[in-house]
Amino acid sequence: MSIRHGLLALLSGGPRYGYQLRVEFEASTGATWPLNIGQVYTTLSRLERDGLVAPGGADDQGRTLYAITEAGREELATWFATPVGQTDRPRDELVIKIAMAVAAADVDVAGVILAQRMATMRTLQELTRAKRGVADGAAQRLVLDSMIFKAEAEQRWLDHCEAVLKERKA
Amino acid sequence: MSVLEMREVTRTFGDVPALRGVTLAVGRGELLAVMGPSGSGKSTLLNLAGGLDRPTSGSVSVEGADLASVRDLAALRRGGIGYVFQDLNLIPSLTAAENVMLPRELDGVRAGRAREEAEAALREVGADEVAGRFPGELSGGQRQRVAIARALVGERCLLLADEPTGALDTATGDDILRLLRERCDAGAAVLLVTHEPRYAAWADRVVYLRDGRVADSTAEALESAR
Repeated sequence: MSIRHGLLALLSGGPRYGYQLRVEFEASTGATWPLNIGQVYTTLSRLERDGLVAPGGADDQGRTLYAITEAGREELATWFATPVGQTDRPRDELVIKIAMAVAAADVDVAGVILAQRMATMRTLQELTRAKRGVADGAAQRLVLDSMIFKAEAEQRWLDHCEAVLKERKA
Repeated sequence: MSVLEMREVTRTFGDVPALRGVTLAVGRGELLAVMGPSGSGKSTLLNLAGGLDRPTSGSVSVEGADLASVRDLAALRRGGIGYVFQDLNLIPSLTAAENVMLPRELDGVRAGRAREEAEAALREVGADEVAGRFPGELSGGQRQRVAIARALVGERCLLLADEPTGALDTATGDDILRLLRERCDAGAAVLLVTHEPRYAAWADRVVYLRDGRVADSTAEALESAR
């Protein structure tokens, strides 16, 4: 995914200036994806080069406004209509660590699993606290929910590891 | 002083140990989650905390009173402790309000006052609009709210919840946890048993039980967070 499509999505709601895009992007993603203003302007100029946005004058304080073009709307529609693939995700260090703990001699695998579980639970607690702090921002809440689901999947996998290893020992 | 205090609690069924020396405390305003695989002793722990069962050894105190020396456990269970179970136990032939009133009426509170308290409890959990309906006419989330209102009615200092999110979808489950959390923030002590990490994460502290023992707890995280 790209910042491109994020900015296009925000611009589909009406013309905006650069700093405004940055603030709205971070608000929508629950500040999980901080952007610097340089990235915003670089992306805007590429979008302009590709004909997906066009400068649309200035607001009353002289800030340049950008507007989405018809081509930009088509690009955005295509993006929303295309499912995200499961490709090219970086290897998961935790999976490798547990696999190696099982393969190696003399490693307390149950101890490794327990330590990881407590660490993941603390992350889950922090995410949940952050979610409780979200007053009204459905986008932000859903981003946090996504991270909660991922952390939860990791917990479940750790439970599974523990159960499988216990069975094998018995 | 802790609302609930368990010291070196063991519980053996026949010669099968369910709990082997568990020590934990839950204070006012604290939400403690207990996790663990099935057979780890979670439900036994909850039953002991609520005076529904007695420990083989060790002690359980609620608001400083050792349950072993409390003469009328039934009154304590009705008055001081609220229970929310997975299978709700709402009585189908009574309306939501009547279900919530029931424990107070059993305690000898007159009907008019019991109804006022029930209505207040239903309001607190956002279920006042279904007060006149029967359990069969409610959604899963609404039924759970009514069960929580029943657990809250009167002056409960300790709330015990056993898998209160049962078969609810995750958004409704979150609402239930938000509700328990609010009760905590209002001063109740809550002990939550769950196997779902996402709900345990609402707690101040998460304790893992394994083979009847506390395997670990996130206590340090709590201290560093405060």
